[in-house]
Amino acid sequence: MEYLATIGVLIAIYIVLSSSYDLVIGYGGLSTVAHPIFFAIGAYTAGLLAIHAALPALLNVAVGGIAAMIASVLLAASALRISGDYLLIASLGFQLGLLQLIKNLDFTGGPGGLMAIPGAVPGAVRTPVFLVVSWLLAAATVFGIRAIVNGPYGRAITAMRDEELAFTALGRNATSMKIVIFAIGCGIAGLAGGIYAYYFQYISPDQFEVLQSAAILTMVVLGGMGTTFGPVVGAILLLAIPQAITFLNLPPGIMAPMQGIIFTVLVLLFMFLRPTGIIGSARKTL
Amino acid sequence: MLDPVILAQILWTGIATSAPYVLMTAAFALTLKVTGLWNFAQAGLMAIAFYTMFFVIDALGLPLVFALLAGVVVTAAASLLIEIYGLQVFRDRGSGSLTFFIFTLILSEFIIYVLTLLFGTEPETLFKSILSPVTIIGNIAVSDWDELAVTTAIIGMAALYVFLTWTREGQFMNAVADNARLAELYGISAKRAWRVTAVVAALFVVAAMYLIGTHGGVVPNSPLELIITAVIGTLLGGIGRVFAASAAAVFLGLLQSFSILIIASRWQNLLLYGVLFAAILLFPRGVRMPRWRLILAGR
Repeated sequence: MEYLATIGVLIAIYIVLSSSYDLVIGYGGLSTVAHPIFFAIGAYTAGLLAIHAALPALLNVAVGGIAAMIASVLLAASALRISGDYLLIASLGFQLGLLQLIKNLDFTGGPGGLMAIPGAVPGAVRTPVFLVVSWLLAAATVFGIRAIVNGPYGRAITAMRDEELAFTALGRNATSMKIVIFAIGCGIAGLAGGIYAYYFQYISPDQFEVLQSAAILTMVVLGGMGTTFGPVVGAILLLAIPQAITFLNLPPGIMAPMQGIIFTVLVLLFMFLRPTGIIGSARKTL
Repeated sequence: MLDPVILAQILWTGIATSAPYVLMTAAFALTLKVTGLWNFAQAGLMAIAFYTMFFVIDALGLPLVFALLAGVVVTAAASLLIEIYGLQVFRDRGSGSLTFFIFTLILSEFIIYVLTLLFGTEPETLFKSILSPVTIIGNIAVSDWDELAVTTAIIGMAALYVFLTWTREGQFMNAVADNARLAELYGISAKRAWRVTAVVAALFVVAAMYLIGTHGGVVPNSPLELIITAVIGTLLGGIGRVFAASAAAVFLGLLQSFSILIIASRWQNLLLYGVLFAAILLFPRGVRMPRWRLILAGR
């Protein structure tokens, strides 16, 4: 039961991550791979505050989200100043560089990770509380993003993504809109990171590597980029399928690459055969 | 006061260790120049090149020449397959740059996962021992590997220059790089140029991975980190300037080597990412060197 509950929390966290990533990459059209590093910033900020400061857990999680948001603004403001394509390269460098920093600093636990993060909820109610909180955040993220993209601001985002030149010619500031979208998406990822740190009470740099970028990207592409419920479907499927493999009792040395192969093959198949994903319109092309 | 011999030693070691970076940066920058794509599938090709050579030497027990031959054939074939059945399909669809990026990155990761499944995550070298005989030249230790690496990089870059400047295929690649549609109007096949680029890049990738695999341990994930150097070199050199990008790779090698004088070695990779950001923010179109011909002509 505890195992299933953990899967439930993980699915909710990944729905938050994939939906917020979809806001950035799918709706905003911003080429970035660094979403896991904002997840990491949220996780490490909340984890470090939990260890070193006697503050309420919710406040620590919120600070984690804000820290991720600030970092994302710094990255986007500098990389987008030049050209959209540079955000992609800058995001990759930012992710790898920051992970390198985390691995080499003592107070972050180095490559071994941050251990013994104090629990936010004691006793038997811990798992149910985390299930409720994570699913509430997932629902708030999905419907919050839906509200944004279906409103006037969302129409402006779509116009900016599809016809940036025309959008700018109308006197709108595309760069500031991109920074706002990036900050919202990355801030939400930071919140997910805070919950992740509190739930698992252990985080390490390996959990936020480029392979994690591929996993989240897979969820978005598989479900349907630029759709409200595509990332939800993608997250559920991609967390459920590897669980099926765990019942085969394969050694960890085989299990991890097998899961990675499943992730990547799914993305490649969908890119060729159904580029719009499961939920996306069949008429659109990627 | 630093000993000049130590400085000379660091300089030489920096130049030698940057040789594989020069080759893989040339491959990355050439692909970007001709196809206009940030082709992260090159990381997957690097992994294929290394593990093909490793398999031939370690599992089949065949001599090095067969390993190199197999590395070239398999990597070039993989590179061509990616070009024809991957990138060309997305070009025909009119896909955006994001699609190419996702495809090349995910493909690299797929290759890396498959190789992890086959070869594990233990660092492997092409030969059992990576110790290289050392000769002292003017108080500077020069290993056989250093000599091989520098010679390979020089010959590789010279051959690339000759190929791009003097052969029809190379000139067609330049034309396609300048303007693919215009080149096609003149009867040059852009598809052919892209395919030739894929093969040439594969040759450079094999040479780079041979040098890396004979100098230190490689794990399936290593190429994803190595390719960052190629990306930074390409940014510093300027998009479309293959030889400047390779020169930037030498600068990065030297920067990392000399950095040991002021920072701990564990921070060397971080220095690389710092340069990446500086390149993006300060030199988005590459570092432009003064044009000496114009300066000397008084213009």
